[in-house]
Amino acid sequence: MNTPIIAAFARLAKEDTLPVRIIEGQKTLISRTMHNLSYNAVNDEIVVSSPFNQAILTFRAGSSGEAAPIRYIRGPKTQILGTDYDGNDKAFVDGDNGEILIPVGTNTSPYESILVFDRLANGDVAPKRVLSGPDTLIKGTRAGHAGIAIDPKRDLMVVKSAGGGPLLVFNRTASGNAKPLKAIQGPKSGIGVGGGGGGGGQIGVTPSGMIVTACAGGAICAWSVTDTGDVPARWRIPVQQLTNVAPSGVALNPFHKEIIVPSGARNVVQTYYWPEVFDDAASTTNNNNN
Amino acid sequence: MRFERSTGRRAGLAVLVIAFGVLSLSFVERPESPAAPAANPVSSMGSARLVSVEELPSYADTCLEAPSDGASAIAALQEQASGSGFSLYAVLNQTVHAAQNGGATNDITRMPVRTIKDSYPIYSSIAVDPERDEVVLQDTNHFSIKVFNRLENTPATVTAATPKRVILGPKTLNEYNNGLSIDKNGDIYSVAMDTADSVFVFDAEANGDVAPKRRLRTPHRNFQSALDEEKGEIFVTIQYPPKVVVYRKDANGNDAPLRVIEGPKTQIFDAHGIAVDVKRKVMYVGSWGNDSTYTVPGTGTWHPPSITVYPLDANGDVAPIRKIQGDRTTLNWMGGFSIEPESGDLYVGNDVNSSVVVFKATDNGNVAPTRTIKGDKTGLNHPASVSVDAKNKEVWVSNMGNSSASAFPLMANGNVAPIRTIRSAPAGRVSLKFGKPQAVAYDSKREEYLVPN
Repeated sequence: MNTPIIAAFARLAKEDTLPVRIIEGQKTLISRTMHNLSYNAVNDEIVVSSPFNQAILTFRAGSSGEAAPIRYIRGPKTQILGTDYDGNDKAFVDGDNGEILIPVGTNTSPYESILVFDRLANGDVAPKRVLSGPDTLIKGTRAGHAGIAIDPKRDLMVVKSAGGGPLLVFNRTASGNAKPLKAIQGPKSGIGVGGGGGGGGQIGVTPSGMIVTACAGGAICAWSVTDTGDVPARWRIPVQQLTNVAPSGVALNPFHKEIIVPSGARNVVQTYYWPEVFDDAASTTNNNNN
Repeated sequence: MRFERSTGRRAGLAVLVIAFGVLSLSFVERPESPAAPAANPVSSMGSARLVSVEELPSYADTCLEAPSDGASAIAALQEQASGSGFSLYAVLNQTVHAAQNGGATNDITRMPVRTIKDSYPIYSSIAVDPERDEVVLQDTNHFSIKVFNRLENTPATVTAATPKRVILGPKTLNEYNNGLSIDKNGDIYSVAMDTADSVFVFDAEANGDVAPKRRLRTPHRNFQSALDEEKGEIFVTIQYPPKVVVYRKDANGNDAPLRVIEGPKTQIFDAHGIAVDVKRKVMYVGSWGNDSTYTVPGTGTWHPPSITVYPLDANGDVAPIRKIQGDRTTLNWMGGFSIEPESGDLYVGNDVNSSVVVFKATDNGNVAPTRTIKGDKTGLNHPASVSVDAKNKEVWVSNMGNSSASAFPLMANGNVAPIRTIRSAPAGRVSLKFGKPQAVAYDSKREEYLVPN
C-alpha cells in the first residue's frame, strides 16, 4: 500500500521467504487499491486494475521490475467508473473465453454493473457486454465492489456482491438486466442480508463445482454452484478463529488442492490444504432452501 | 453428500480426534506431492460438524472505513488475541463449545500448511528529533513506532538494534502507519493511511501500549504530514481523490481543515510526499501522476511524476508556482520529503530509484537533482522517506527494503557509505515489503503466488 507492488512468491514460500520478483515503478502504471488481480493460464498473462486512473492493465505473467503493461483498457468509451473510496479496485480475466470482466459502481447507487471486454481490447474501447440493473441483484458500496469468478466447465459466472449483497450465479454470458440463476444469502449462509460475508471480493470455483469465498466470522466458505437461498456453507475453514487472521481474499490451486488466503489486516499470506472442496461430490446434490 | 446432524457426545469425541489431528499437523510437515495427500483430520474421523457459534468481526472487506465509534479495527483483533490468551488450545475449546450445538456446515480446523510473513520491521517513514537525540521509525508491518538513539550504529555482529522505546499495541490504534512528523515539543504525529484514516498524536515520551493523546480524522488514503510550527498548522497529503488538507496542529477528532488544496488547476495527481519551507513560505507536493475524476466514466490518464510548489497559504483550486517534472528528475514512485530550513534544499526519498535526490529551492521544470545519493555503498533499499537533521547536518533515510535507517552527511552526493545505520534485521537481509496484501492470484505455470500491496 505504501508502494503498490505486485510480488511473486514461490508456492512453497514460508515465513520470511523473499519474493522471486517484484513488479513496481512508474512505467508499470500501477496505482494503490488493487483488491483483485487475476492470472490467465491460457495466455500466461496477469490482469489488474489501476484504480486511480480508471484503467485495466495486462502484463506478461513473468514480468519483473519496472515492466510496462502489454495492453491497457482506458478512456471514455470504456465506461470504467468507480467511487472516491475504492473505485475500480478489481479486474478479472477469463482465459478460457478470452474476456476481461470489471465491476463498476458509483457513490450513490446500491447496484453495480459488470463490464465485459475482449481480452485483447487495447486503448479506448467499449465493453462487448454489460450486465446491469436491479434484477441482477449485484450490489456494491462506496467502499467495496463485487467479486467475479468464471466456471468454464459449466459456463457460469459467479458474482459476490459487496456491502451485504448476495452471492449470485449467472449464465456466463448474461447481459442487460438479467436475473441470476441462483442467489445465496441470509443468516444461515453467512452471506448477504443478515448474513454478513466480509473478507474481500475474491472468489474461486473448483473443477468439482464448489464456490469458495470469504464469509461471515472471518472464515472461508464453500457452496455448490447448485446451492441457492439461505443455505449454510457445505464446508468452512474458520480462518480467524484458527489463526486470528482475518481473510481478505482467496485463490485456488486445484492441482495441489490448496487455497491461498491473504490477510491485508495482518500482512500475511496463508496456504490451507483443503481437498474436501476439490473432491466434494456434493456439488451435484440439492441443498436449496428456496 | 451432506453429513447428518450428530449428537453432542459424538461431536465431543470428534473434537478430541480433531484436537489430536491439529496438534499433530502443527509438528509434522505435509508432503508436497499431490499424489501423496496428507492425513485429513476430517475425513479420517468420519463426520465432523464443528460449527462456530461465536461471531467474530471481519475486518478485511476492501479498504474498510474506520469504525465510527473511535475504535480501531485492527486493534480489536489484537485485543481479541491478547485478551483471550490466544492459543491453539483456546481455539479448540471454542470448537468444543460449537460442536455441541451441532449444525450443517463441515468445519475444517486444519491449520495453514504454510504462512508467508515478514518477521522484521518494514520502515515506511522516519523523523529525527535532534533536541532529544532520537530517531523515530514507523514499522508498517507490525504497526509499531520505534524510537532509537540518534547515535545508534548497529554493529555487523548484532542482529538488530535495540530501540529505546516502542509504541505498540491495541491502545495505540496504529494501523498502516506512515508519514511521521515530530513537533518542537517532541510529540509524534503518525499518519494511519488506510483503515484508520487519521493522524494520531503521541506524547514525546510515549512507550508501550498507550493511547494517542489526540486522533485527528482525515480523508481516506492519507500519506505524509508536515508541520508549520510558526503558524501551528499540520499539512497532510491525500493520495486520491488528490488533495492537501491543512489543519490546526492541535486539531482533534472531526475538526474541519483550515484549507484544502484541490482541483484540476493544482496538477496534483496521486499525492505522496509533502514538505513546507516556512522561511520561503512555500510547500512542495509530490505526485505519482495517476489521474481520473471518479464521478466521470473513462477519465483516467497518466502524467509523469512531478513535484509541484505552492504558496504556503494556498487554498482551493490553485495552480502551482513551479513544477519539477521530466526525465532528468529521475523521480520514480517517490516517497517522503524533508526540507533543510536554511538553504531550502528539498530532500526526496526516491523509492523505486533506490536513491535520495536533492533539489534546490529554486528548481523548476525538467531539472536533474543537485545531489543524488545512490549506489551499492549507500545501503539504500527502497528509501521510502527522509528526515533532515539541520542541527547535526545530517539526513536520515528509512529503507523499506531492508528494515534499516541510514544517516548521511547533509551534503553527501554519489555512491557514499552512510555514517551510521540503525538496523532491525540481520545485515543483508531484504524485506518482503508487504503493505496490506488484500488479494492473491495463483500462477499455475510458474507455481507462484502473485500478491499485490
